Amino acid sequence: MSATGSQREAYQPPAAGSSGMGRSYVPAPAGTMFYLCAECGVKVGINKGEPIRCKECGHRILYKQRTTRMVQFEAR
Amino acid sequence: MPAASNRRNIVGVKAETVTNVSSTDFPGHWPGEDHSWNIKHFRRTFRVKFFRNTPLFSQFDLIHTDAAIANTLRRIMIAEVPTLAIESVYVSNNTSIIQDEVLAHRLGLIPLCGDKDALKGLSWYLRGEDSAPREPTDEDTVVLYLKKACERNPDAKKTDTDPDKLYINHNVYASDILFEPAGRQIKSFAHDPVRAANPDILIAKLRPGQEIDLTMHCIKGIGQDHAKFSPVATASYRLLPDIKIKKPIRGKAAERFAACFPKGVIAIRERKDGEKEAVVDNVRNDTVSREVLRHDEFKGIVELGRVRDHFIFSVESTGQFDADEIFLSAVGTLKAKTINLKRDIYKMLRKQALDARRAREAENPDADEEGDAMDTQ
Repeated sequence: MSATGSQREAYQPPAAGSSGMGRSYVPAPAGTMFYLCAECGVKVGINKGEPIRCKECGHRILYKQRTTRMVQFEAR
Repeated sequence: MPAASNRRNIVGVKAETVTNVSSTDFPGHWPGEDHSWNIKHFRRTFRVKFFRNTPLFSQFDLIHTDAAIANTLRRIMIAEVPTLAIESVYVSNNTSIIQDEVLAHRLGLIPLCGDKDALKGLSWYLRGEDSAPREPTDEDTVVLYLKKACERNPDAKKTDTDPDKLYINHNVYASDILFEPAGRQIKSFAHDPVRAANPDILIAKLRPGQEIDLTMHCIKGIGQDHAKFSPVATASYRLLPDIKIKKPIRGKAAERFAACFPKGVIAIRERKDGEKEAVVDNVRNDTVSREVLRHDEFKGIVELGRVRDHFIFSVESTGQFDADEIFLSAVGTLKAKTINLKRDIYKMLRKQALDARRAREAENPDADEEGDAMDTQ
């Protein structure tokens, strides 16, 4: 698969303004990462140092979102 | 149609065997007859007859040609007439349950259509080396994009269970693929943009929160490389069936005889004396099922066969080009191939002659002079 690049980029927290996802409901402060709640499926924004916990239902399991980086495939 | 006396080009279809399979119209087979290739003879006898011609389907006959030619044309139609198809898929986001690879494969198989002249004007995309890949240009690449996100329908009733009422955008269809013309494509595809030939192809199903967002690059290719580039859904031929009634079949037997064949193959005519008689009406409808050969009462009365040099083609287009256009383009490809072959054969013969002369000169350098001296004598 062409997705596996040889150079691994270091993690960079998303800059303010570009929240990563196409639609952002509230202007997210810098360093906010969005996760999906495993229980209720809601999008949870979590800042550095905050507890890993869903703000809607209190569930403690959150999933990382799929990368929005472009991935190339051959239509074969 | 073959002359009644000429049964040479009839393949015999017997109850358990097929006889007289190979063609015999080549030099040296029939004593005293000249069957060498003759363009004048071919021009006089060869015929093409169209029976149905719609953009997506055409049925036509090639009469008085060899199976080799008919099969070449069929194979060229399937594997060597170029079309446009999705080749690369750039997935920005795909949270649907269908995996990226599978989605890309499905997208590749969607037949596209658009302005035919502009499609034919596209040049081949040359991939280049891995180290130096070539940039796609507006001459060789068509860019399509697909972006759809599913949401809950706020107006849905609580009791609704139908996905059509519960969700918005939960089906992704081929008609959702949109064309992004680049450069001169803006002009050339202005009236007839590139789009899916069949808008109702279901690509994926979504549920609220799921999203598909991708860009596709389409290039020109041939069916030899991948089936998605094949312009035809089917391109096939069959031989014209032939039914020979040796003795008249009359009365009730005529109806039983007609029932052995598909509808329209055998007609029942009323004779002057009021008796009914079975006559062959439309052999094209026959499937050569050999049902008639199972009945003892018709034993020896009927002979089934197929006309060896009468090919009934049916070509079904996937929608990018018209079916008859695909056939014509296959004929063009065949012609180009024969021209190349001829040139290469001449080249080979010239080289052989040159090599032979060099070998002779190397053996005895005076040979040429001697030969000249002989000529003058």
